[in-house]
Amino acid sequence: MKEREEMADNNALDIYEKEAEEMTAMHKITDKDRFERTGGGFVNLFFKGNLYERVKVVRLFPFTDADKYISIRENDEKAKEIGIIEDLNDLSEETKEMLKEQLRLNYFTPVIQKIYSIKDEYGYAYFHVLTNKGECKFAINMASNAVTKLSDSRLIIMDLDENRFEIRDVNALTQKERRKLDLFL
Amino acid sequence: MILHYNLPKKIIDTIPLSENERIYYAVPFDIDGEGQWTEGSYLIVTTGKIHIYENEKITETIEIKNCTKAKAEAKVGGGILTVTIGDEPRVLVHYSAKHLSRYAYIARGINILISGRFEEVESNEYEKMCPKCGRAIPGTKNCPHCSKEGGFLKNFLRMAKPYKKGFFGVFVLMVLAAVTTLLNPEIQKHLINDVLRGGGGMKQALVYLAIMFSLSVGIVIVNILKSNASTRLGARISEDLRMALFQKYQELPLSFINDRRPGELLNRITQDTTFIREFMEDVFCNLFAVFFIFIWDVLFMMILNIKLALLTFVTVPIVVVMVLAFRKSVHRIFHLQYKKNDDVSSDLQDVISGMRVVKTYGREEAEANRFKALSTEFSNTQRRNETFWAIFNPIISFLMGMGAIVVVYFGGWDVFNEKMDAGELYQFMTYTVLLFQYINWMSWLPRTLTQLTSSLERINDILSQDVKKLDDAELAEVDIKGEITFDHATFGYKSYQPVLEDINAVIKPGEMIGIVGASGTGKSTLINLLMGLYEIDDGHLLIDGTDIRDIKRKSYHSQIGVVLQETFLFSGTIIDNIRFSKPDATYDEIIRAAKMANAHDFISRTPDGYNTYVGEKGYSLSGGERQRIAIARAILTNPRLLILDEATASLDTESEFMIQKALERLTDGKTTFAIAHRLSTLKKADRIMVIDGHRIAEIGTHEELLNSRGIYYKLHMAQIG
Repeated sequence: MKEREEMADNNALDIYEKEAEEMTAMHKITDKDRFERTGGGFVNLFFKGNLYERVKVVRLFPFTDADKYISIRENDEKAKEIGIIEDLNDLSEETKEMLKEQLRLNYFTPVIQKIYSIKDEYGYAYFHVLTNKGECKFAINMASNAVTKLSDSRLIIMDLDENRFEIRDVNALTQKERRKLDLFL
Repeated sequence: MILHYNLPKKIIDTIPLSENERIYYAVPFDIDGEGQWTEGSYLIVTTGKIHIYENEKITETIEIKNCTKAKAEAKVGGGILTVTIGDEPRVLVHYSAKHLSRYAYIARGINILISGRFEEVESNEYEKMCPKCGRAIPGTKNCPHCSKEGGFLKNFLRMAKPYKKGFFGVFVLMVLAAVTTLLNPEIQKHLINDVLRGGGGMKQALVYLAIMFSLSVGIVIVNILKSNASTRLGARISEDLRMALFQKYQELPLSFINDRRPGELLNRITQDTTFIREFMEDVFCNLFAVFFIFIWDVLFMMILNIKLALLTFVTVPIVVVMVLAFRKSVHRIFHLQYKKNDDVSSDLQDVISGMRVVKTYGREEAEANRFKALSTEFSNTQRRNETFWAIFNPIISFLMGMGAIVVVYFGGWDVFNEKMDAGELYQFMTYTVLLFQYINWMSWLPRTLTQLTSSLERINDILSQDVKKLDDAELAEVDIKGEITFDHATFGYKSYQPVLEDINAVIKPGEMIGIVGASGTGKSTLINLLMGLYEIDDGHLLIDGTDIRDIKRKSYHSQIGVVLQETFLFSGTIIDNIRFSKPDATYDEIIRAAKMANAHDFISRTPDGYNTYVGEKGYSLSGGERQRIAIARAILTNPRLLILDEATASLDTESEFMIQKALERLTDGKTTFAIAHRLSTLKKADRIMVIDGHRIAEIGTHEELLNSRGIYYKLHMAQIG
């Protein structure tokens, strides 16, 4: 009886070890593996003979390489990694479009292309800008650290609602626009 | 937070409503199917249907009865609302972070409709942007700009009302100050005209000088009295406001405190009240005096020489515009400098606190170069700014003096042509200088007043919060026996993140329940609910069959004991800290409690015994000693319900043993909830509750859970292995 218990205990430990070991493995997902759209607007993945439903599509380098190293993860609390796609562009057009759709749902960081005006009024700055997602207005709190510098010329601006706006290259803005931004650089 | 926007009639007309059906919620979504910003799109929830309105028509309709679940999922920079139809989850709308919390309420609302109930969800959160004027709202319910009940004057008067006497005193002194200030140039004119030019004798001159001297002394005295009175008044007002805010904070539910950033509430007590004091001292005490003097100043100038007065007034707008423009650029460049300075110091702090890592990886040089770049940039900015300041500051002084030059030039002509006498010219010039002084002063006013309005608004926002009167006569005094029932309890600190969902359990009196689970699963939250710190969002928590909301807080709290992982000791003596739970405890009771808690011996060893001063600046106790004081504190009230949150987690083995023993004495026969990471500390527990995925995943005795081979079994195996 006691022996059996011990054996079971060892099994449990084995399961743990195996899980820990599995986490270190790096699986690559390539064009050979099949993604499929669900009726509800998500995607399923067939990988190594398994079907993973409604997988999560996660960027590993959202700022520096948004389309490379995409992690595909299981859809539950633990969100275990199923595999990594090295480059979205290596996949077929259809799959790529499917995954891009998911990325659009998961990430919303408009990139500012043009600054129409910045008005500062009593501690808040009101922006009116054109982004790659269209024209918009937002406000930031000047007292808080609303602007994060990713590099010398790259900025992330967080507005009052915690929306994030990106400026890819400050130097690409016109002199006039840069002067408006000056206060935040 | 608005969950039912006022839809334009055009949209309402397109929504098909059957009989007995009404619109529950109508909220905008701002991202379209292509991931682009969109406007004028709405999600509309009626009694039986969910409509999506986009591009001026309803594009999709979903029957609520076909759904099993709605969920608002937070994503990066936004979120999506999904409903599950059959087995399939389905994306309904995509929205930016602006609507994250709004949709969390909507999902909750839809789920209630799905379950066949018809309550409407309401949100107590505030809007961050004013839906009317589009301005940011400084953390208050109403927009200071738009609210009708707000308004600067009304707020200020409400604040000033209890201090009528003080305000009247300051007002009288202000009038006195104004009169004395204005009288001086008049006397000077007589001195020049009657004595210096009119050939008056020494005696007359001395009389005028004496008057001028006493006037100057008068101005000084009045000003001292005035500053004194207004400082006193300001200090009193801000003290009273601080006290009122502090009291309110203690009455407000913790959830209100949690909804706000931690620093913000602190600021309201410290900064906002200080701002009001400073306003009283620096601005208010001069406010009426300045206006009063200003008006008379202008009148006197016109009486003296209307032509000259009008000429001076013409220069005023030019000067004001220039000064304001100058001030704006000064603000701009120095703000820039301040930012750069900030960069330098934060980088410095980074490197110094990470010095060990920098050294071990041999990165000194790279770090030095990075720092040098920042430092050079800062010093360049600084140099540029100083140059700017050096050039423009004299220019501004010159501009301010421009009025005087105009006066001297044209006034001089008038004196030569004998249209005006020298004394009058002198008097006029004094008034001109005063005029520009006050214009300069007044040009700061709009900014100060706006700041004051925001401060007043923030303070009023707290003071006008309705607190549910907890200790009403309707609430019951209880004698806790110790039966605890969780009935479909659901709770989250943030509306869009439930921490505990649908918790169901019945705990018998005297039972000891061990709570285990990974961090962040909601163990401490469960305990916060038990301590009555937060109110459950949905469902019930029953104490001996009575809803905790219907029990008098004071009566409940006097019967629970708490020992947390890190014990907080207030600055004070050991006896103060033990007595905290029962202020009227006798020495006898205190020593007995300390003995039970294995604390008596170490307390006796300290030089000042029970009078030893502990706390931030006092005698430092070890973690185990603090813990034992907390246990003594808990024993003192002889609580019926005990809560232990990782009480022994941060201790070495020996003190853990002592504390374990003390805890066993404490928990004997009392309903106990104990959170622990180390399962060995839960040996005495009657049942174990495993929390996972925001729910109770497993509950049962140690043996039962081991046999069921679930999460607890895995944890157990991992720890003994």
